[in-house]
Amino acid sequence: MHELAIARDLLKTIERTLGSDQARVLRIDLSVGSASGIASESLRFVFGILAEGTRAEGAELSIATTPARGRCVGCGMLFEFEGMIGVCPGCGRLGGELLSGDEMALRAIEVADV
Amino acid sequence: MCDTCGCGTPSRRTIEVNERLLASNATAATHNRDHFAARQIFTINLMGAPGAGKTALLEATIRNWRDVSRVSVIEGDQATERDSARVRAAGATAYQVETGLGCHLDAAQIHRALHRMELARGDLLFIENVGNLVCPALFDLGERLRIVVTSPTEGVDKPLKYPPMFRAADIVALNKCDLLAHLTFPLDEWTDYVMATNPRALIVKTSAVSGFGIDRWLAEILQRRRAFLERHSE
Repeated sequence: MHELAIARDLLKTIERTLGSDQARVLRIDLSVGSASGIASESLRFVFGILAEGTRAEGAELSIATTPARGRCVGCGMLFEFEGMIGVCPGCGRLGGELLSGDEMALRAIEVADV
Repeated sequence: MCDTCGCGTPSRRTIEVNERLLASNATAATHNRDHFAARQIFTINLMGAPGAGKTALLEATIRNWRDVSRVSVIEGDQATERDSARVRAAGATAYQVETGLGCHLDAAQIHRALHRMELARGDLLFIENVGNLVCPALFDLGERLRIVVTSPTEGVDKPLKYPPMFRAADIVALNKCDLLAHLTFPLDEWTDYVMATNPRALIVKTSAVSGFGIDRWLAEILQRRRAFLERHSE
């Protein structure tokens, strides 16, 4: 359940971004690489509980999963893949060097003035 | 309220943030790394499933490191001080972090532990993470070397089932190799899976019980510590 630590960090970042702004958060846009190992459902679940009583209570957590990029160590081909580990479309070799796909970022929040 | 017509609908606006998650952990980890570099403390984050043999390998390392430097250990477990007692008996100084509900150690916990420990210049510091093949992979602690300890009893396909953990490793130690003769464990297949997940990982085969591979294990750590000390000497 590292999602608990991530949700805590996310809520802190949102509170810091809002500062003294008395707005209510309607939607949170996250971008998560497919190889990052984040379980979206777990993150939504714990964030929902943590956000109770805060300005982000009830906000929709929108998680966009971006494909990962890898380099085949057999034939050197660069390729994109979904999930945590890919297969080279050139030579069929499993896995490879991960170039991107383990990132997690808070892109934006949509708020409404109260 | 809606600025356009005053209809009573709250006006919506978007605030761009574009910040990495766990950035606060990354900041704390950088602080720890700088602290270690200034004091020439080579730090190893030891990760792996419960029962892989992390503590046993640590005990073997401590017993063989006496002539090189002091060894200090930060032990992370959900509960008990049992591992701290074991590594103290082997000759290290130890500080126990009981994580309670936490499934991993984070950089801030290491920072707090450092304030309560008496580390000397040139110490070798091990951080034995909570036994878990998932969560610790995501948390940089400020270490210089990440080692994943695994064992043939865990099955051949663990690198494929837990890619972030194996991807995080500089060294993958296959411990309990004394058991290989009694198990169906296709070593070549396992090696392929480790390499598929992390082509830059170095595999070291050990047995903390029989002593098999311990010389190589020590040599790999010594070599990396020496390079670190050369980089960070005044």
